[in-house]
Amino acid sequence: MDESTLITRSRAGDLEAYDHLVGAHQDRIYHVAFRITGNREDAWDAAQDAFVRAYQGLRSFRGEAGFGTWLHRIAVNAALDIVRRRPRTVSSDPDPQWAAPDDPADQAVRADVQRRVQSAIAALPPEQRTAVALRDLQGCSYEEIARILQVPLGTVRSRIARGREALRGHLADLAPARTEEDR
Amino acid sequence: MMTRGHVTELLSPYLDEQVAPGERERIEAHLRGCQACRAHLESLRHTVALVRGADPVPAPAGFQAAVRSRLAASAAVPRGGRLPRLRLSWKTAGAAAAVFLIGIFSVSLLRDAQPKAVTVAPEQAMRDATQGYAQDPSAKPAPSAPERAVAPRSAAPGTIATAPSDLMTTRQIIRTAHLQLAVDDFDGAVRALLGIADGVGGFVASSSYTQMGGAPEGVFTLRVPAERFSSTLLQVERLGTVETRRIGGQDVTEEFVDLQARIRNLERHESRLLSFMERATRVSDLLAIEQELARVRGEIERLTGRQRFLANQVDLATVEVAMRQKVAPVGGSFWDLDGALRRMKAAFLTTVRQLIAAVEKIAVVAAALVPVAVVAVLIWLAVRRYRLRAV
Repeated sequence: MDESTLITRSRAGDLEAYDHLVGAHQDRIYHVAFRITGNREDAWDAAQDAFVRAYQGLRSFRGEAGFGTWLHRIAVNAALDIVRRRPRTVSSDPDPQWAAPDDPADQAVRADVQRRVQSAIAALPPEQRTAVALRDLQGCSYEEIARILQVPLGTVRSRIARGREALRGHLADLAPARTEEDR
Repeated sequence: MMTRGHVTELLSPYLDEQVAPGERERIEAHLRGCQACRAHLESLRHTVALVRGADPVPAPAGFQAAVRSRLAASAAVPRGGRLPRLRLSWKTAGAAAAVFLIGIFSVSLLRDAQPKAVTVAPEQAMRDATQGYAQDPSAKPAPSAPERAVAPRSAAPGTIATAPSDLMTTRQIIRTAHLQLAVDDFDGAVRALLGIADGVGGFVASSSYTQMGGAPEGVFTLRVPAERFSSTLLQVERLGTVETRRIGGQDVTEEFVDLQARIRNLERHESRLLSFMERATRVSDLLAIEQELARVRGEIERLTGRQRFLANQVDLATVEVAMRQKVAPVGGSFWDLDGALRRMKAAFLTTVRQLIAAVEKIAVVAAALVPVAVVAVLIWLAVRRYRLRAV
């Protein structure tokens, strides 16, 4: 069953069909919510809210942008809502998932890099954090980001540029060679 | 080859190939000549690689099921518009303020539009009445034939005081009437009634009206010269349908004559006492006469007062009029088309007047709000500027 069929059915109130859509998009949506909010509880709340709001607002989705883009917009707004409600606690939980249980040295270093990157992202102002997350973690195009954030292309460009510049300052000491290998 | 200025702020879009072709050439030309910018580009490329290398964070187990159970619990079919949550912002605050103001205006306008409790200051009512009266030819106080025919019966009550000798031949009658009317247009009838009172040289001694449960009703007590009593009744009866008519006449001729005789006797007694006093020689006699004189004088005053009261009652007849608005004006025809049209016209005009009043009020308040708006816009601009700089 393709996405547009699922959307049509969901719109008619078919929870089964919407369940499929959630399954298809939950990881990307959760990921962006996590990067914007910086911790798991808020990410869960934001992503949950996003899927509920998306379902309730499905009628207003007219398919001009892709469903994923539309969903991202709702999720980003939900996440930013949460961030704005608790503005000054820029802390990110060390994610237990990154510390692998059978812990060779290589894994430990990798987990450390992950933590550094996450805390650097979390330290950015919300607008820059969102733009960078959409661009470099979700792989969205500049046009998509402009649609998701409802801002002009020039603003997207400058937010990404400034966000990356700030990240460069935070992460400058990590050895370039290692990450080249990692990739 | 050196080019103008560094290109650090363009390196990020350059990495993503988000620069115009001409701009790219300029950046590349600059990079060839600028070691610092080349190093910057490398470290930026490295940073982006680091971020892109970050592991995706998948949704925790049970996420999908949680969404599903939340949706099932709300049992919601997708709604029309997407209005997720009211975010507290300048916009929502402004909208709330606007709604608040509009609400206040509406309430005050509605209160103005309510049917007012009818309260007419007597003089005002009188003036209104005479005007409305003059415009209404049907209610003109024509000295009609019946009036002249009736007049002699109650002729010359004013002669009592000046010519007491005629008393025996003149009947002294206190006239009262009670009328209950049902009228089509209550307010118009009230005006006409006041006009009648004015026209015959009388006045409204008391009035009270209420408007409970829609149909207004009221009771008016008119005092009119006795000789205009009948003409007044005729005019009043023309205002509407007479439901009750009670006319009373109390013949007080006898009491009047009696009073007159007693006063005359007392006055004689008084003059006699005065002559006694002149001849009195003993103090005790003087005192006794003095006491008697005071008693007689008091009695005379009392009786004269009573006489004056009666004269007033005779001079001014009392007409009590109870009026109420007809609930359903049932004319001769099946449907009162004229009335309906009149009411439609009145309702239409009322609405137009209220709209004009509303627009005027809003304009006035808008004018009052102009300074506030200027301050608000300035603050908003400042906030936006600050925010833009913060991003």
